[in-house]
Amino acid sequence: MDAVHVNPPAITLEASKLTTREINTRLRNLPDGAAVTIEEPLGRHNLAVGLTSRISIVIDGNAGYYTGGLGDGPDITINGFTGWGLGENLMSGNIRVKGSVSQSAAASAQGGLVIVEGDASLRAGISLKGGTLAIAGDAGNLSGFMAQAGTILIGGDAGEALGDSLYETTIYVAGAIASLGADAIITDLTEDDVIAVKRLCDKAGFDHVDPQNITKVTSARQLYHFTTAHSDAY
Amino acid sequence: MTYSLQSKQFAEEDHVGYFSFWDDRWDDGLMCGIAGLMLRDPGLAPRLGPLLAGMLTALEGRGPDSAGFGIYHDDNQLDIGKDVGGAEDICRRLGIDGAHGYQGVGHTRMATESAVTKQHCHPFTPADGVCVVHNGSFSNHATVRRRLERDGVQFDSDNDSEVAARYIAQRLECGDDLKTALTAMAAVMDGFYTLLVTTPTEFAVHRDPIACKPAVIAETDEYIAMASEYRALAGLPGIKTADVFEPTGLHVWTLYT
Repeated sequence: MDAVHVNPPAITLEASKLTTREINTRLRNLPDGAAVTIEEPLGRHNLAVGLTSRISIVIDGNAGYYTGGLGDGPDITINGFTGWGLGENLMSGNIRVKGSVSQSAAASAQGGLVIVEGDASLRAGISLKGGTLAIAGDAGNLSGFMAQAGTILIGGDAGEALGDSLYETTIYVAGAIASLGADAIITDLTEDDVIAVKRLCDKAGFDHVDPQNITKVTSARQLYHFTTAHSDAY
Repeated sequence: MTYSLQSKQFAEEDHVGYFSFWDDRWDDGLMCGIAGLMLRDPGLAPRLGPLLAGMLTALEGRGPDSAGFGIYHDDNQLDIGKDVGGAEDICRRLGIDGAHGYQGVGHTRMATESAVTKQHCHPFTPADGVCVVHNGSFSNHATVRRRLERDGVQFDSDNDSEVAARYIAQRLECGDDLKTALTAMAAVMDGFYTLLVTTPTEFAVHRDPIACKPAVIAETDEYIAMASEYRALAGLPGIKTADVFEPTGLHVWTLYT
């Protein structure tokens, strides 16, 4: 591994000339505050994963699976769309996708903010554990499945079975909901919710969402425990 | 019909955009890859083979056990090539880079439910001019197989995907159009699937209702392309301005006539 000389402001990595491991190793060796652009990603998987420093990364094109996954600090912008598992298990940091994303965006994310300027495919925010997922457009079926903590904002419409088997994640939907999943219910919007949505929209740059006019989905908390009341079902 | 076994060297200029993935092909652990290309622009016909080879090579990590392809050319001729091994090697050995045509399908297989042999390779060709490639698994294939066998349907392998292929062919033989046949298959076969089914004039992508297996479409005035992952499409001409999307359910495209 060559030593990386940091000459701010711009470091450019040409993805076509490097393996994924080489790209991620170079990113890992950058100090806090560095800025880097990854060119011609061509749908490559596993870019910018597992980074723990506070660096800024621009992926200038379409990226593949698990982009920015396992991150703890970096700020990542993708000038394109991404594949499955964007920001999976994110701990902290920001990820912004200028296009749409495939399935399971922000899956199991424990912290950080994932912003999708386009649409998100199925199972967005699956098993979310404390992170924040803000989608400007629509979200596919089974979004918020078994989500445990954190916040999901859907600026467009939500697909079928939204929030199925939901734990303590709060889901806000600006558009229509095709259907709610098991144990997900619509609850009253409070002043705190309106403030939370407004702050998130400001941060994400969503000016098409009216925080006063949002549907809030939470858990009915009926599936938390086995109870003898359900014994007939087994 | 078997694709001619001729050895040719890759033309390097045809593969710009794919070579960069070589180092990453083996670390994916994702099961099976599908690629297909239906040309709307006859001018691309001489490049069909190299383009399909590039797509399959990009998907080799998803299916290192075997690979296969079908090439439609000239007067609705369909040539099939498939073998055990890696996609890049198979494409090279079977001379796909020299193939021209107006439509191609391909598959890279990671075997999960039946043996790794040439008979178990995709594409399956259950009827004249019909190719079926599948990513996923069917849970009730044995039941459907017994039913088809009672109807006299012959099988080449104990592969679950072949059951779907034979079922679709049976429906087509009964007079269903492709869309009806695939809808009927979805009602009978239980499991996970992204299917690419082609006839000499049609190109169909069918996904199960919860979309367990991936599919990406790229559409331009020159072609319809489908692959399990975008990176297999990234080297296609005009991809930067293509309409790229993930299909849900059933889509059938018909060749411009």
